[in-house]
Amino acid sequence: MSVQVKSHKVKVMEELLAKKLTRQVVASLVGCVHCGMCHESCHYVLTNPDDPTYTPSYKADQLRKIFKANHDWTGRVFPWWVKASTPMTDDDLEALKDIAFGKCTNCRRCTFNCPMGVDTATLNRITRGLLSAVGVMPEGVRVVSKDQWEIGNQMGVLKEDYLDTLEWMSEELEDELGHDRAAIPVDKKGAKVVYAINPREVKYDPRTIKNAALIFYAAGEDWTMTTEGWDQTNFGLFSGDDQLGGICGKRVYEKVAEIGAERLVISECGHGFRSTRCEAPNWAGVDVGFIMESSVITMLRYVKEGRIKVDKTRNSRRVTFHDSCNNARSCGFYEEPRELLRLVATDFQEMYPNRAENYCCTGGGGAMSMSEYTPRRLKSAKLKADQIAATGAEVVVTSCHNCVDGLNDLIKHYGLKCEVKQLVDLVAEALVLEEPVVEEKPAPIEVVEPAARPAEKAAALAGRRILVVDDEEDVRTFLTAVLEDAGATILPAKDGDEALAVAMREKPDIITLDLSMPGKDGVEAFVEFRKSPETENIPICIVTGHPEFRKVIYDRPVPPPEGYMDKPVQEEKLVDNLRRILELKDRKG
Amino acid sequence: MPQHEPSTLLSTVEIIHWLALAFMALVYTIRLFWLFSFRGTKDRQPPGNLKQSTPMKGAIYSLGNVAMPWAMESTRRGWLFYLSFVIFHLGVVAGISLAFLSSLDRSLLEIPAVSTVMMVMLGAAFAVGVGRIIRRIVTPYLRLISSPDDYFSVILLTVWFLVGVFAQAYIAGKLDNEMFLVVYLLNTSFFLVYVPFSKISHYLYYPFARFWIGRTLGHRGSFPYSRG
Repeated sequence: MSVQVKSHKVKVMEELLAKKLTRQVVASLVGCVHCGMCHESCHYVLTNPDDPTYTPSYKADQLRKIFKANHDWTGRVFPWWVKASTPMTDDDLEALKDIAFGKCTNCRRCTFNCPMGVDTATLNRITRGLLSAVGVMPEGVRVVSKDQWEIGNQMGVLKEDYLDTLEWMSEELEDELGHDRAAIPVDKKGAKVVYAINPREVKYDPRTIKNAALIFYAAGEDWTMTTEGWDQTNFGLFSGDDQLGGICGKRVYEKVAEIGAERLVISECGHGFRSTRCEAPNWAGVDVGFIMESSVITMLRYVKEGRIKVDKTRNSRRVTFHDSCNNARSCGFYEEPRELLRLVATDFQEMYPNRAENYCCTGGGGAMSMSEYTPRRLKSAKLKADQIAATGAEVVVTSCHNCVDGLNDLIKHYGLKCEVKQLVDLVAEALVLEEPVVEEKPAPIEVVEPAARPAEKAAALAGRRILVVDDEEDVRTFLTAVLEDAGATILPAKDGDEALAVAMREKPDIITLDLSMPGKDGVEAFVEFRKSPETENIPICIVTGHPEFRKVIYDRPVPPPEGYMDKPVQEEKLVDNLRRILELKDRKG
Repeated sequence: MPQHEPSTLLSTVEIIHWLALAFMALVYTIRLFWLFSFRGTKDRQPPGNLKQSTPMKGAIYSLGNVAMPWAMESTRRGWLFYLSFVIFHLGVVAGISLAFLSSLDRSLLEIPAVSTVMMVMLGAAFAVGVGRIIRRIVTPYLRLISSPDDYFSVILLTVWFLVGVFAQAYIAGKLDNEMFLVVYLLNTSFFLVYVPFSKISHYLYYPFARFWIGRTLGHRGSFPYSRG
């Protein structure tokens, strides 16, 4: 008879568990009666009715078993009686990882439905933390956590790229307003407000930064962004790593203190808001001496105080609101976004259930960075897709970047006819600027997408040579037509090999690259472009029907792409993005 | 109008019952010391929306949650299960009352109305208990999460309810065999000794779990929660 020996990782996990046990956690561990009331509160359960392993108490039991085997007297004496057990091998830990990371988004809906007050989501987070501590975690979580530890933000955005983006947005504002007074201040000592953002905004959606800057300007706010400590997101919440969580929070707090600001405004990000405002002071063991608020509260305050004026008729499409789990259930942030939404949009339709009972977007808990679980995530998203479809909304508004990505994915997957926006976008669209914004022109300013102006559109890419790589002829034709209309010369290629050959030969100004192609696919081609000295500096914009490949691309050991667009692409956005990428490249020389 | 005089056997069993109770109280005291031996946590984060809630409001709401079936989706939608929960736990109250009153003031249990109410409560709880055993056996997800202790606990209580019905009937003079009460008190004694080591002790931890989560979420403004 062979005696199984616990792996070193398991032993480390058990030691660490002892340090993580608080009264609150222990009460949740011993309080479960396995009544099953949590069962139907979980979106995974509801979309996988035949798989009992999605049951929240089963997921929490994974930690409970280890606790009982090590800390509970019945479990230590009669382990089989109370199902106390502990993982033994590293393979057991892999199986545990699959449950803790792949079957739960820590949305806390089960917690709110437990009659015993068992905080199952917190127990699952602890399991994640134990696994992360011994290096057992999804690759995406590892990469992102590493970036947050080492670079200081979860997407590995370099300081110069961050500052370039702020400068770029300032220039955009200057173009639109006709003056530079709305430029984004950086490290302005003594500013009253520090604005912290999600790196996703720098990488994928810089317009949210511009919109926020416009609103701060319109409100006459004394504000600044910072060169360090600007990332309000916190992968410690997802990985269960309290140390990382505390460090991320401290970076932001210290910078705000250095500036001497009264208030930290956190851009619309559910987990970032929860982490920075509610959790990180506990993880870091610090008391924060300034006000921390979501930008939603800030914008609502500006409207209520009359500091900005809005015209809700500018947002006349039907909108609905998706509550971020972290904002709502974990931070009590229920009514303010609705109040603001009603002030800036004419047709607001609630989705049901909502507020504390809303279903997760399915992208929470770091799920967007764990591509290995994408099929599960999208399957469970059916519930949310049905919720959205029932509203008849054309725009789903949410105050969370994870939700934006999660919702975009499910909208595409389930073929819904709507788009996702954040409140900052709607407020900026509804914003009425009272000053003559373009001094030479008496007409009131209208924030219009540059690509919507025909003259500019034709000139947007004039003289640019663009390599369009896509295996589908229809798509190539479409992209070619759109980009040629914008003045570009197109070099087409139908797969990775051809693209590499054309790029070597023609040295295009920019490449649009599909990912899923026969032969050499876009991922391989992308890596080769980056590795070849002849093509490494050519900017690449991924244009793909597989948003879940984002992680695959960003995990490559090469510089990330300059742009990433999901199909179907909108003409204006495509032209605008390519133009911006090229302008940025030109500025960098 | 006493129906029966206690025998020596019954008197001995009553002593065992009280000893079992003392044992349970001792173990529970140790359990509470054990729970409080873990470090407490402080909510360092600034308060959420004070107009919306406070730590105390959240804690009270959380503690009262059990009596508000409309508050949680799980109880609102599963109202039948909630009803069964109420009946089951009223049965527990009746069973405990029966055990103590049979020693302390049996005459109260001999009042016909009281006797009838007790038997109905215990009988209804027994029926719910049977339903719970079946539910636990036939429902795949419950089977998956259930331990031997989960099955044993519900079976133990269900049998206890049934024996309680007969014990009450004996006290009321409707049955003539003292062994019903003897078995009931022995069953109760075992129950009292076993409970602190089983999941039935959830009621010891439940107020703490609910208080702590209510306090934290009340501090943040998310308890009491709004829904739509």
